[in-house]
Amino acid sequence: MSENIQFSPWLDSSQKPYIQIQNVTKKFGEFTAIDNLTLDIYKNEFFSLLGPSGCGKTTLLRMLAGFEKITQGKILLDGEDISEIPPHLRPINMMFQSYALFPHMTVEKNIAFGLKQDNLPTNEINQRVEEMLELVELTDFANRKPNQLSGGQSQRVALARSLAKRPKLLLLDEPLGALDKRLREQTQFELMDIQEKLEVTFVIVTHDQEEAMTVSSRIGVMDSGNLVQVATPAEIYEAPINKDVADFIGDVNILKGIYKGQNEVGTQLLSEDSNSIVFATQEVGASIEDEMWFAIRPEKLEISKTIPSHNHNILKGKIEDIAYGGSFSTYHVKLDNGRILKAIRANRERTKEHHLTWNDEVYLQWAPHSAVVLLS
Amino acid sequence: MKRFGTFNIFSLIVGFSFLYIPIILLILFSFNESRLVTVWGGFSTKWYAELMQNQGIKDAAWVTIKVAFVSSTMATILGTIAGLVMTRFGNFKGRTLFSGMIYAPMVMPEVIIGLSTLLMFVALAIDRGIFTVTLAHITFSMCYVAVVVQSRMSSYDDSLTEAALDLGCTPFRTFMLITLPIILPAVVSGWLLSFTLSLDDLVIASFTSGPGSTTLPMKIYSMVRLGVTPEINAVSTILVGVVTLGVVTASLIGRRQKQQILKTQHT
Repeated sequence: MSENIQFSPWLDSSQKPYIQIQNVTKKFGEFTAIDNLTLDIYKNEFFSLLGPSGCGKTTLLRMLAGFEKITQGKILLDGEDISEIPPHLRPINMMFQSYALFPHMTVEKNIAFGLKQDNLPTNEINQRVEEMLELVELTDFANRKPNQLSGGQSQRVALARSLAKRPKLLLLDEPLGALDKRLREQTQFELMDIQEKLEVTFVIVTHDQEEAMTVSSRIGVMDSGNLVQVATPAEIYEAPINKDVADFIGDVNILKGIYKGQNEVGTQLLSEDSNSIVFATQEVGASIEDEMWFAIRPEKLEISKTIPSHNHNILKGKIEDIAYGGSFSTYHVKLDNGRILKAIRANRERTKEHHLTWNDEVYLQWAPHSAVVLLS
Repeated sequence: MKRFGTFNIFSLIVGFSFLYIPIILLILFSFNESRLVTVWGGFSTKWYAELMQNQGIKDAAWVTIKVAFVSSTMATILGTIAGLVMTRFGNFKGRTLFSGMIYAPMVMPEVIIGLSTLLMFVALAIDRGIFTVTLAHITFSMCYVAVVVQSRMSSYDDSLTEAALDLGCTPFRTFMLITLPIILPAVVSGWLLSFTLSLDDLVIASFTSGPGSTTLPMKIYSMVRLGVTPEINAVSTILVGVVTLGVVTASLIGRRQKQQILKTQHT
């Protein structure tokens, strides 16, 4: 894991990007699916394209695979322009959302299919198939047909098949979408292990933000055919670029504020909800009276019944709803003006001593560095 | 619910009698000892033996089989391509016109098809014979194959083709190794269908055949004009048998395939 923290080639200007998507536009008739998109992905990255359905993430993936022709711009792989290369000649493999296992072939033949197209000697094919079966722990299932496999097994066969040719780049289209929650979480870790072991660059498309957070080295958040933000999971979560990203990734309370200038603490905003001054450490370039927003994650809001000693970054409200989640509880707090904020509190004690209950008058407070100021 | 009420049973019997009594009578009388077609004279298979001596019928049967085999094979190739094109290219411009034109022969009166093909052959100065009958049969049975293949392709997952391409397989090999094996049952049942259609066609063959290319239905028809003999019953019985076999096999294949599709979709 410590390796992962240090792995950040995008910060190192001497590193050459492995995949360069340069000013790519894709149009389907009048509809623009991808709008002048530029993105660099580095070797051995586990890059996620994340966004709501229809944002163009799958189109971008299919252009990398070669199934969609680029209307404008180009894509380079390891310095070579691959825009015009047909899919069967690209050193890129893809794992399909539907897995697309060949129903008339056994597991073994499915995995060997790509290798056979390269006319490798039989013993080498057999050896590689063996390796792949071991990698995904399906050695006992080599002679089964796809319709005799469970969803999780099919998913692993599809993964093995797409990795068998040792592609330079592996594309994964919603690879875990069809699995149930528990299996999905387990498979996420397996995917990460396999990616590290084989040192293949992964580009994954997903609409599941938790999945993207778990597996990725970086996430590209897409909306309406363009990248909104490209950053590490932590950056996306803690420093979203705008309201949409903040809202799409995780839970968040977004509050409106009026810019009142900078002081030694940081930015001063007048909160519309509490009609009091709010501080944020983050500095922004804006002029007085500008409208902006500040976002606070529910776990960063401290909830208590006692009046805080200081008088900034406080909102007063009443507990409207409590969702007990075992390890933590989520409180819905209704402010005097009717707005509802979410606050999460870890349930550290087994006793009920501390308990907050429905209709309690509570104070929500947060540290100045916990809120993110958003200009749009 | 009364599934077998008196009325239901009655209408069932009437309906099926209406459909099958003529054929059953024809089959029964092919085993008649007597030369008279309407009087039962005891069981015998002698008309089948006699049939084997009749060179005219044997020639006609051989022509029919050749025509049916070649025309259904060609129709299957062309019809499969048409069916694939219609599904794979989605909504291209003029698609409705194109699909309408493929289906048109299914509803066009056979007399018109026969006449128009005849006129074309005359205009092109092509001598009529086995070749022209075969061509005409290809034209009208092709659409049946196209329909069968198209309906199979509508449940075919395109990502299978993409997966094969992605793994380095050329488009042609992908078709041969992936698409064709998966849709093969549909192609085979399309072939059987056009084979039986060609076997029992009288109208189009009458228009487009020439000397030396008399097909079995044509032969039967001309023999009947000289009076019905039990020999005709015998040859008709064989024809009915072959056609039934073809149609039943085609529908069995179709059913098995449907079950397989369901099975893969459920996993």
